[in-house]
This record gives sequence, C-alpha cells and structure tokens, in this order.
Amino acid sequence: METGKISASQMAFMMYPVVIATGIVIIPSITANYAAQDMWLSPILASLMGVLVIFIALKLHQLYPGHTIIEYSVSIIGKVPGKLLGFIYLYFYLLMNAGGTRIYADFVTGAFFKETPLFVILSTIMLVSSFAVRGGIEVVGRSAEMIVPFYVIILTILCFLLVADLNPKNIFPILSDGLMPSIKGAYTPQSWFAEFFLIAFLLPYVKDIQKAGKWSMISLGAVLLGFLATNLSLLFLFGGELTERFNYPLLDAVRYISIAEFIQHLESLVMAIWVAGTFVKLAVVHFALVIGTAQWLNLSDYKPLVFPLGFLTVLVSIWGISSEMESAHYSGTIFPSFSLVVQTIIPLLLLVIAILRKKHH
Amino acid sequence: MVKRRRKLVSSRKESNPATRIEKNKGALYDDFDKNENHIRAVYSEASDLIFRHFYIAGKQKAVLFYLDGLVDIQELDDSVLSPLMEEFTAEYSGVKELLEKKISVSGVKELTKLSDCVKKISSGCPIILLEGWSSGFALNLTKFEKRAIEEPPAEAVVRGPREGFVETLEVNRTMLRRKIKSPKLKMKEIEIGKYSATPVILAYMDGIADENLIKEAENRLKRIDIDGVLDSGIIEELIEDYPYSPFPQLLSTERPDVATSHLLEGRFVILVDGSPFVLIAPVTIYSFLQASEDYYNRFIISTLIRWLRYVFLLISLLLPSIYVAVITFHAEMVPTSLMIGMAASREAIPFPALIEALLMEITFEALREAGLRLPKQVGSAVSIVGALVIGEAAVMAGIVSAPMVIVVALTGIASFTIPRYSGASAIRMLRFPMILLAGTLGLLGIMLGLITIIIHLATIRSFGVPFLSPMAPLMGSETKDILVRAPWWKLNTRPHLTGKYNKYRQAPGQKPGPKHGGD
Repeated sequence: METGKISASQMAFMMYPVVIATGIVIIPSITANYAAQDMWLSPILASLMGVLVIFIALKLHQLYPGHTIIEYSVSIIGKVPGKLLGFIYLYFYLLMNAGGTRIYADFVTGAFFKETPLFVILSTIMLVSSFAVRGGIEVVGRSAEMIVPFYVIILTILCFLLVADLNPKNIFPILSDGLMPSIKGAYTPQSWFAEFFLIAFLLPYVKDIQKAGKWSMISLGAVLLGFLATNLSLLFLFGGELTERFNYPLLDAVRYISIAEFIQHLESLVMAIWVAGTFVKLAVVHFALVIGTAQWLNLSDYKPLVFPLGFLTVLVSIWGISSEMESAHYSGTIFPSFSLVVQTIIPLLLLVIAILRKKHH
Repeated sequence: MVKRRRKLVSSRKESNPATRIEKNKGALYDDFDKNENHIRAVYSEASDLIFRHFYIAGKQKAVLFYLDGLVDIQELDDSVLSPLMEEFTAEYSGVKELLEKKISVSGVKELTKLSDCVKKISSGCPIILLEGWSSGFALNLTKFEKRAIEEPPAEAVVRGPREGFVETLEVNRTMLRRKIKSPKLKMKEIEIGKYSATPVILAYMDGIADENLIKEAENRLKRIDIDGVLDSGIIEELIEDYPYSPFPQLLSTERPDVATSHLLEGRFVILVDGSPFVLIAPVTIYSFLQASEDYYNRFIISTLIRWLRYVFLLISLLLPSIYVAVITFHAEMVPTSLMIGMAASREAIPFPALIEALLMEITFEALREAGLRLPKQVGSAVSIVGALVIGEAAVMAGIVSAPMVIVVALTGIASFTIPRYSGASAIRMLRFPMILLAGTLGLLGIMLGLITIIIHLATIRSFGVPFLSPMAPLMGSETKDILVRAPWWKLNTRPHLTGKYNKYRQAPGQKPGPKHGGD
C-alpha cells in the first residue's frame, strides 16, 4: 500500500509538531488555570504519559512488526471486536484532526483575519496537508525535516527576545498547595503527550526500526523542552494568575517584544510558524487516518481517500464544533479523557492481551 | 485521423531515397557504377556533394565522394590522392592492404555497406569506392569552422579556469579528457535524431558512478525518437523525471571544471554536439546555488557567500509578496516611523499594492527579456528607458510608489545572485503566484505557498536522488557542503547518494600545519 520508507529521525521530526503545534498555544492557559505558578511542573509530569505510550506502541509493533494498530487489533482480539476498535481509532483521529484544524483556524481568524470565512482558512491548510499526504509518507517526512528546524529556531528566537521583560520571581512560591494542582494541570497536557501513540501508524514504515525508540524519546524530550520554555516564559512574564485569562498567551507574550522600537509586533511571525507547524501536524495525523481507513476497509491503495477524508475533516471541524468557546471546552475537558481511553488504556490492554496470547501459544 | 496521418508520414518516408537505402542493409554492389549511381541518387539535388573519378596507380578506377566544406581538402590531396595516383608497382590484393601501404591518414575505416557510406559522407568523412571491389573506405579528414574557446559569459568567475565549452563535440570531449587523464573516464556515444543524427556522449567515471544510474541514463537517451537535436535543452526535457515541475532536474553548465567536479562525485555528464551546454545529473536543488568559484576561494568566504545566496534566494522569491502582504494585511508589523513614510508615498497611488506589485514585476521581467533580445547597438536605450521612465518618472507621476520600486529592484538583483540561470528562472516564475497569494491571504497565503513549494520539492527526484537531499532526507555529515563549504581537507567523502560506490575521494588528515613538515 505505502511503499515509501522514512528514517527514525524523520519520524522524530514528524512527531514534534504533532504535539507542540497546537500544544504551546492553548495548553499554557489551561494548565495555568489549575496549577497557577506551578504550571511549569505540569508538562514534566505529563511527559511521563508520553514515555508510557511510546513504550506501548514500540512493544506492540515488536509483537506485530510491519502492522499498524488497525491491523493488529484484529489479530489480538478477533475480527469483529478488532474492526470495531479500529473504527474507534479512526473516529478518534478524525475528531482529533478536526479539533486541531479548528484550533488553528480560530487562532488565525481571531488574531489576524477577522473578516475571512472560517471555511477558507480551514480548507486551504487541509488542502496543502492533503497534497503532502498524497505524495506519500516520504514527502511528509521530508517536508517535516525542512520545516521543523525553522520552527524550532524561530520559537527559540522569540523566547530569547522576551528575556528583557521576564521576572523569574513569578515562580515563587513553589508547590505552596502541594503537588495536587500541578497534577490536575497535567491532565490536559497528558493527552497531547499521548499523541505520541501516533507512531503506531508510522513504525511500519520506519527503515531503521532499532533506532525508533531512541528517536521517539529525543522527540519527546524536545517537546518537553518546548513546553517548559513556553510555560516558563509565560510564567515569568505574566505570572500564573494572568496567563490563564488569555486565550492564546503566547501571542500576547510576543506582543510584549519591543527591542529598540524596531523589532516589535512580531505576531505575524507567530502566525507564520503556527501555519508551518500545523501543516506538519495535520499531514501526519491525516496520513494516519487515511492509511488506517484504507487498511480498515482492506483497500489496495490509500491515495483516493486523501481528499475525501480531508474534506470530511473540514466539515467535522465546522459542524462538529460550534464556537471557539466550545473548542476550548472540548480541548480542556472531553478530549483529555477520550485520549486517555483511546491512546493509553486501550493500547495497554491490547498489549497485555497480546503478550498473554503469545505466551499461551 | 491520427492513424491516417501516420500512414501519410510513413508513406512519405518510403519515398525518400535516403531511408530506402538505409533500409537496404545489403552490402555494396560488386558493380562499381551501380554503387556510384546509388550514392548520387541519394544525394540528388545536393549541390555540395563533390565526386571525383581517378585511377589508382594509373590502373584501377576509383571514385571519391565528399561534402564540400566539411573536409580538410589540403590533407586529402596530400595524403590520399597524390600517393594513390602516382605510379607504383607494388602488388596489392585488397582494400586493407592498399590502406596499410599507401594511405597516410590515421583514421581510416573499411566500409561494406551502402548505408554506412551515406552516413560517413553526411558526417563529413570523404569516402573512396574502387572498381571491382565490393568495399570502400572512409577517411577521417573532417574539418570545419569552429568557435574559439571563450569564457562562458553566463558563468563568469573571478578566480578559476576561464575556458568554456563550445559547440563542437570533439572539442568538448577533449576538454573533459584533458581534466581527467584516467582511462576510468568513460564516454559512451549515442546517436540521437532521425535526420540530424546528432552524436550525444554520456560521460561518467567507471568505479565511481552507480552502474544502474548509467544504465538508466542510457535507456532514457536511447528511448528518444526525434527529428533533430538542436541543443541539450531538448534532451533535458525528454529525459527528466518530473516534466511538469518548474524546477530543472538536470544542471546545465558551460564550464568544463563544473562538469569534471560532478563527474568525480559520481554523476554523469551528457555532451550534445552543437551545444556548448552540457547536462549533469543527478543533481539536488543545492547544485543550483553553488558556483564553481565556491571551491576555489577560501572556505570561510565561500561559506558566507553561500549563506548570502540562500538569503537572497528567499528575497527573490518572497520580497514582493511580503511587501504586498504587509501593506495589505499586516501594517502593524512595520515600525511606526517607517510605516508613516511608506503610507505617505503610497497616498497618491491609485492602485492597490497587489496590482502595483504585479505591474512592476511584469515590467521588470519585460525589461529583462527585452535587454536579452535587443540588438547590442540599441542596448543602452533599454537601460535609459528602464532607469528613467520606469523608475523616476513613474514615481513622479504617482503611478507607483518609491518603496515598490526599491522592492522590485532588490528582487531583481536578488534573482541574479543564483548562479544557475535555469534555477533562477524557476524562482522568478514562482514569484508571481506568491504575490497573488499574498494579496489574497496575506502572510498566511505566503506560508501556504511556501509549504506547497516545499512539498513539491520534497516530491521530485532527479534520476532517483531526492531533490532536497542531503537536508531532507537529512544526512548529517553531508551538510558540510550545503550549510557551509567545508575546507578541502575536510571534504573527504563523496556525496552519499551518488558516490557511495567509491566513498573516499582523498586521504584523511590533510589539514596543513606544523606537524606536516615545513618549518
């Protein structure tokens, strides 16, 4: 079906924006809501979830090499339950991609293009992502390799430009209410880290599979660093109380940047990297969705599905989510639980059953 | 309809005496007159065909054919006709013996087929047919006017060799051979063109280039069925991987040193008779951003110049569109004092920024094109019109704003920092859709356009080599020739995707220093 191969390092490049692209924009305010000045601790706790799902995905792939979860769920729990489970996965990733596109579109229309119809913003990015997916996994991998370094560099520069306005005292008092607020604050980020489970769809196409674990962890570490850097910058800049009041605190932070009255108003730069990151995220998730659907339906080729499913994603993100408020509510409450079940608990159960079955035989 | 046309074409082909004889694979006739008549029939109405009867040693009748202007007549008279026509008594029993004993020309070939005779005459070799023998011989005495070797004007250098390829295949071949004296330099000759019969040479280094790559290149060349090949550009379009891409997937150069360096990195070079441009493949997008001089200048400077090119590549692609996006959608991005100046100069302009940008860019392209086509004598007229009318007067008349003129001028300069013209053309062309995107979706449109270009570049390959490698797919150590120009004592390995069969190009540890001797 897919003949292309990617390297483990390409997979790392692909996974980085999947988590961070939407994460750094909406996660800080949700985390600050629970953890206040301890918001920097939450990503560290949440990243443990990433370690767990990477472990599960790698183990499952070791037991069923060359297969995605859509295929091995049938081998593990039988045809009908397996197919049903596969459908849940496809449904989940369709919703996740629709939610991600919607977050992106709300951000762009809210902050920059107030007059532009949502549909235009949604469909253009989906169209571009679909082009990449149609080119195959190699094209997605190479595009990620070209884009992600610039993404990281610009993000780093933005953080450095903020240094003059930072007030590190905002971090105190550390753990004044114990560990509980940080754990609560970690509940939403854990679902973003759990998106690393997407490697279950990519591992069958990785050339140097023995390096997959190492590179997944590197990617996870980079994501954690990204979250820490943004959360700490925001905390130092605004303090925990204020951060939660912004919809997109990162954007508001960048508005603070003013150096020599010349380097200022860099919001557009935020949008530029925002578009680039979202593109990679959408392309990777869309690839998983499309290849999963093709395997679920036992098709011989996935390419005819790329544009129809892309269109469906756009429709779901317009009709499934009625407003920006609902989108934020969904990301903060429903999605983390849904993700916990689908991306962590079910795979864990699958792994246990698979190991037991292998031992039994 | 198509079928009928094909029939017509093929029937016309049948009636052509040249093709009729080429089809007659038969040997030369025993009958001397029949042979002569055949050749004269093939070349009927060709006023430049010269034929001359003479007697070898005053006894055996013979005839000489050649095309006027293609043959070294002096040499023909001195080394062929006069020794053959003088009286001699030594016995000879066949063409071979006659050649060995009497003709002092190094390149001689015995001919037994009529079609071969015709081919040889057409390519400029005089042939001699003899009475009573069913074979003749061709003499390699081709000589015609050729252009002198000059510095290629489109690829000038400050430091480095100044010779350039010319239109003559033999001269170009020699230039490569003079640079690489190893017999490992292989040159396969393929004839392309039904009528032009253009010799095309596929050159590669045996033991460095991938054998499958050479086989593939040869297959693609042999697949070509065309009337005539006038320039290597025609070959390029017929063998590339992605014909609809705006980016060239073969590098064309006029410089022998560039061709040689690519040969040594495991690529192949296609030389086409009649074209000073040779083709090189497989290449990556970075090949279009590297000048030969990078490797002759000091590496620190070369690295900086490379980065300058990367930046100006982006400027030449994006500057007008960023200007349009900023003016139309993101005015807050510009520092206030600058914005006031820009707004003041735009106040009287009747057009929106998008139209203004398109107008100016198209005018610039027209100026460039006109400057290229104009006769040299009126060349200065264009620069006067360009500089005064378009620049000064248009701003004064309030048709375009001064910042726009600056933007267009800078973009124009930027596009000429790209060392390869064919690569620069692709970028120049892509500028226009980018301006349109910027005018409709602002910075978002620019990003979407940029991403689409990246996707396209990630998709295409040149003879199997990903166009963006070694950046995507990333190959760590190979970025030494992309992100920087590593010093020569560090460039120990050949590029992985083309030179993996012979990995090392030089001995390691050649960094000069006190421990390597000297004082």
